[in-house]
Amino acid sequence: VSGTILVADDEDDILSLLQVHLTRFGYQVVAAHDGEEAVRLAEEHRPMLAVLDVSMPKLDGLEVTRRLRAGADGDLPVILLSALVQPADVERGLEAGANAYLRKPFTGEELRERIEGLLAGG
Amino acid sequence: MLRAVVRRKPRLVDVYLLVGAVAIGAYFALPADTVAQTVYYSVVGVYGIAGLVLGSQRNLTARARLPWYLFAVGQIAFVVGDSIFDAYLIGNGTLPFPSAADWIYLAAYPVLFAAIALLVARYSRRRIHIAVIDAAIVTFGFLLAQWVFVLAPTAQASGRLLDRTILVAYPAMDILIVAPLAGLVYSRAARSPCYVLLALAILAMLVADEVYYGHGVNYRWLDGFWLASYVLWGAAALHPSVGALGADAEAPRPRLGIIRLLLLGLAAAAAPIVLAVQTARGANAHPYAVAAFGIVISILVLGRMALLLRAYDTARRQAESSQAALVEQNEQLRELDRLKDEFVGLVSHDLRTPLTSITGYVELLASEETGPLTDEQRSFLGIVSRNADRLLRLVNDLLFVARLQTGRLDLSLEEVDLAEVAEHAVVGAGPRAGAKALDLQFTSSGDTAVFGETGRLGQLLDNLVSNAVKFTPDGGTVSVSVRAEDGAVVLEVADSGIGIPESERAHLFERFFRASTAVSRQIPGTGLGLHIAQAIVDAHGGRITVSSVVGEGTTFRVALPPATVGAEVHA
Repeated sequence: VSGTILVADDEDDILSLLQVHLTRFGYQVVAAHDGEEAVRLAEEHRPMLAVLDVSMPKLDGLEVTRRLRAGADGDLPVILLSALVQPADVERGLEAGANAYLRKPFTGEELRERIEGLLAGG
Repeated sequence: MLRAVVRRKPRLVDVYLLVGAVAIGAYFALPADTVAQTVYYSVVGVYGIAGLVLGSQRNLTARARLPWYLFAVGQIAFVVGDSIFDAYLIGNGTLPFPSAADWIYLAAYPVLFAAIALLVARYSRRRIHIAVIDAAIVTFGFLLAQWVFVLAPTAQASGRLLDRTILVAYPAMDILIVAPLAGLVYSRAARSPCYVLLALAILAMLVADEVYYGHGVNYRWLDGFWLASYVLWGAAALHPSVGALGADAEAPRPRLGIIRLLLLGLAAAAAPIVLAVQTARGANAHPYAVAAFGIVISILVLGRMALLLRAYDTARRQAESSQAALVEQNEQLRELDRLKDEFVGLVSHDLRTPLTSITGYVELLASEETGPLTDEQRSFLGIVSRNADRLLRLVNDLLFVARLQTGRLDLSLEEVDLAEVAEHAVVGAGPRAGAKALDLQFTSSGDTAVFGETGRLGQLLDNLVSNAVKFTPDGGTVSVSVRAEDGAVVLEVADSGIGIPESERAHLFERFFRASTAVSRQIPGTGLGLHIAQAIVDAHGGRITVSSVVGEGTTFRVALPPATVGAEVHA
């Protein structure tokens, strides 16, 4: 399996962690530090999947998801990743159009399962 | 009253009234119009004065005595007047008019007026308006009747001006007494037995006065009223409730009962009644007086209605504003609740973010993709990982309990095999049990499917099993069993641990409660696990119970409805 995955998180440590995991799984990674950058990189790189943090400056993950859904690549699989873990938070994420909601902290195995599940389904 | 006297220690006022009643009876037993009877009359008057003075001394503070001393002064004047009267009678049998007795009698009325007015003022200090208007209506009604029936005929009668003035003065003085008496009737003091005695005393005096001056005849029975007035007046001062009147100043106004209402109605209708009576008698109807008093009374009635309406409006506004305050308070509570949720959510989020990095990078290191680890390094990473997990569990528990408090535990239900969930928890606890060399057993039998939320049931099992492992000393036993039993799916988690004292078992499921056996052994914990466990069991329609022997072990038993029954319960 290969291809490009867009990751976005304002926490550098977690962004690096995601990059390490995804690289290990064999994907190309483009990394954004905020919502606006994520939208721009999505248009530039046309990734096969996006992993977005919910709480980010400028544009939050929910808004990025909505813009991606409204953009040229409307059916891009999106995994929201967040330390907001209450049922209402998950509901909001799925309502914004995300395909999956992954709670922080997460393990590499959980991340891989979600990505492969979505890519196989799509 | 006699029975009451026999039953309890007789009060002074009871004895006083009894003696007074006998004394009045004795007056009528004496031969009429004799020296003995007239002297005896004054003796009863002195008896009344003695009651007033003694009662004030016994029941009242120095500051409260003034009106009652004034009453005594008024009564003394009456007795002196009576004595002068009697002296003439005994002496030569003819009465001069006016005599010194008349001047003394007339001087007594203003003193009585002042005393009653003082009482009214003392007990009606707040919200006096309506009481004053009620009293004014009654007074003006009485004034009109007094004017038309007594004053005007007397004033217009022939005779010397001085004679007529004195004759008019008596009924005029009665009006002076009626005004504060009506004030007393409609004031707060009206709730006291002492007031009833006082009002009766004044009333007895007024009735006798009115009949006497109205008809110009001294009926023998009138003496009874005047004598009763003396005795009742003294009794009022002797009644113990006289001292409590001051303390009653904040008591509500007396209810407008039937007597007060009738009195008001009669007074308000004084103009038409007087007009009708005079017309029927063919007497002078005094149309100007009737019209003038009628107007005054109408204005007073209107004023009373206006005051009532205003009081009603005020009460309604108060009710509305307190309603609004309640709504606002409710809103604030809701806002506070929302803030708390927000705060807990924020804390949870901000703890999870660093935890994500810690567990994530520990996982990467432990996977040895960044290089091989020594046994010691691996063991150290295990410690970091375990503690990060512990911290995460704590954060989860706090978040969960905060949600429980706001009453939101929505389960997404599905059919779950409880045995499978339990086995998963047992496997998960394996490493911790192994580290303490515990014998960790798992058994299951029968159909153990329940209707529930896998995540929550897993949390329940994790809590119970990790508790059992935590509280069991090295080398002990923890056994987990799931079985179908008597129409329920029963889970038992039994350990050979330190046990829980019986006195503490009732509090075991309370938030933040920790057993003394756990605290004394310094076993860490938050006291949230069992609270959460119970909440989860409750939400699934089940029951959790505990049995324990200190030093031997503890068994938690959870009974859940089986999937078939559960489906009906949750449908």
